[in-house]
Amino acid sequence: MKHEIREEAAGVVVAFEGDVDLQTSPDARKVLLDCVRQGKSIVVDLSKVGYIDSSGVASLVESFQSARKGGRNLVLASVSEGALRVLKLARLDKVFTICDSVEDGLAAIG
Amino acid sequence: MSETSPANPFVRFFDRVGRATVSGVEEIGHGGVLIGECFYWLFYGPRVKQPVRLGSVFHQMMEIGIHAIPIIGLLVAAIGAMLAIQGIHTLRIFGAESRVTIGIAFSVVREFAPLIIGILIAGRSGSALAARIGTMKINQEIDALKVMGVNPVRFLVVPSLIAMVIMVPALTVFGDIVGLVAAGLYVNADLGISMAAFFHDIVDILTVDDILHGLGKSVLFAILIAVIGVVNGAGVVGGADGVGKATTRSVVQAISAIVITDMLFAFVATR
Amino acid sequence: MSPETNPPPVTVIEVENLVTHYGDREILKGVTLDVREGEIMVIMGGSGSGKSTLLRHLMALETKTSGTMRILGQDIDTLDQRQFFDLRKKMGVAFQGGALFSSMTIGENVMLPLYEHTDLDPMTMDIMTRMKLEVVELGGFEDLMPSELSGGMIKRAAFARAIVMDPKILFCDEPSAGLDPVVASALDDLILLLRDAMQMSIVVVTHELESAFKIADRITILDRGHILMVGTVDEVRNSSNERVYNLLNRVPEDDSMDMDEYLHRLTGVEVNKDAAL
Repeated sequence: MKHEIREEAAGVVVAFEGDVDLQTSPDARKVLLDCVRQGKSIVVDLSKVGYIDSSGVASLVESFQSARKGGRNLVLASVSEGALRVLKLARLDKVFTICDSVEDGLAAIG
Repeated sequence: MSETSPANPFVRFFDRVGRATVSGVEEIGHGGVLIGECFYWLFYGPRVKQPVRLGSVFHQMMEIGIHAIPIIGLLVAAIGAMLAIQGIHTLRIFGAESRVTIGIAFSVVREFAPLIIGILIAGRSGSALAARIGTMKINQEIDALKVMGVNPVRFLVVPSLIAMVIMVPALTVFGDIVGLVAAGLYVNADLGISMAAFFHDIVDILTVDDILHGLGKSVLFAILIAVIGVVNGAGVVGGADGVGKATTRSVVQAISAIVITDMLFAFVATR
Repeated sequence: MSPETNPPPVTVIEVENLVTHYGDREILKGVTLDVREGEIMVIMGGSGSGKSTLLRHLMALETKTSGTMRILGQDIDTLDQRQFFDLRKKMGVAFQGGALFSSMTIGENVMLPLYEHTDLDPMTMDIMTRMKLEVVELGGFEDLMPSELSGGMIKRAAFARAIVMDPKILFCDEPSAGLDPVVASALDDLILLLRDAMQMSIVVVTHELESAFKIADRITILDRGHILMVGTVDEVRNSSNERVYNLLNRVPEDDSMDMDEYLHRLTGVEVNKDAAL
């Protein structure tokens, strides 16, 4: 799994690429929590993520919760159908703001 | 059972004795294999990411050792006092009451503390181990561990075995002290020998060998209790009554094994 | 999810000519079976048909006499211990009685595979555990002990534990046994949900016809250690095979018997046929 961080006016865009699974989710978690610690709102771009397992989703949940605690936001953009099914399973589609594109995401956190 | 039993009662008797012997040997074999497996997981487990968890070992040590301290203290104190009473009573015949310390020192440290503690732990923790593993087996919890990729020997047996091997000798040291103090108190009350003088004698009489003799036995007892508990628990068939039978068997077997080992050990060690 | 989709379905379990013994008794007499990715395969059969034995072999809990078994493309006979453990992590099992560890809370039970097999942060493990408990509708129950739960809840907790590592294959042993129809039906819905949301391949052993017809993509019918038929729900329903029909309609077994064999069973004394005549 690779990741790319892009600074925008509204916040940061974190784009992951590859699979987010048991092996890689600790890295994803660290990246996201670092951004949260810097007090930024985050758009997580999942367009290039093939497969995301529960540990990846759990990392998203944790980051979202700590972003909210700091008065910031975290939204998901370009969520694949497979990932959406995993989110829906635990009714997380009702928790996260899920945007169609990174632009929509930036608008949502702006 | 597809085996047909012979019609002749005489033949049937030998048939039964034979089968019992074979299954007994088989169980001893299981025990031996189990000890081997325990060593394997203890040392090789970390390499396949199956380490023995220290947390479980501590938990078992609390369960087996710390929680047994009150009852063991009580029993060993009673034994110590009993030895003093009997010793003084016997030696009075020769007018040699003051020599009672020798008898007390040797019998508490070499025999009674390890033996009583072994028997007590067999009844208290060996049976619990058999019951726990038996129950887990009939509830398919052992299967659940296996399909999770968690080796049951590593997860369940090794922590108990290590905890036994540490705690039984530790309790024996504790038992030595409590037993001697209780005996000393009685001697002090009956013969008026001061505690200081009593313990001065004890230290003079006892050698490191005597203490190691007791501790060596207690390590053997610990292994016997754990292995017998596990083998009986793992052999449970049927339901809850199977667990009950296995628990009882484990206590009877463990106590028998302890007493016999004690005798053999004393025989070998005094040669 | 029809089995005729293109490209050809991926097989997750391939069993060929599996023969097994229990003591001297032959239980499975050459079973060949495949389970495809993302399908629910229901194994049915009367008692003594060998369906539970087959499940135990699929979970690699028993030693087979002969035959080959490939799970997720790997021949299980060729695996070393490490590879075998790795394979096990991709399989989840919901046992008939739940098989929750009675000395641990529900949460600890569900978390155990994560704790044993991953180096995830405790917070991540905790969230994963709670998420899975939400999936099986046991949110908020993580601090209870198994003894404080009802039978249906225990089964659901067992499902949560079985799926906590996001396994590729899920095995369910008699999911609806001992449950009232409403609870059993909810459990069937859960199985369907897991297949659809997580693309799991699910093997279910059951004797409940209704449940089998509701969830199965394909059904395997075992009879006295042989595979009687493998097919979709409709194929099984419309089967012209007499024994399949009998099983589905609970027609009692035909009562022809081997007299010597029956007498042997009743008396426990074997008659030497040559000597008797």
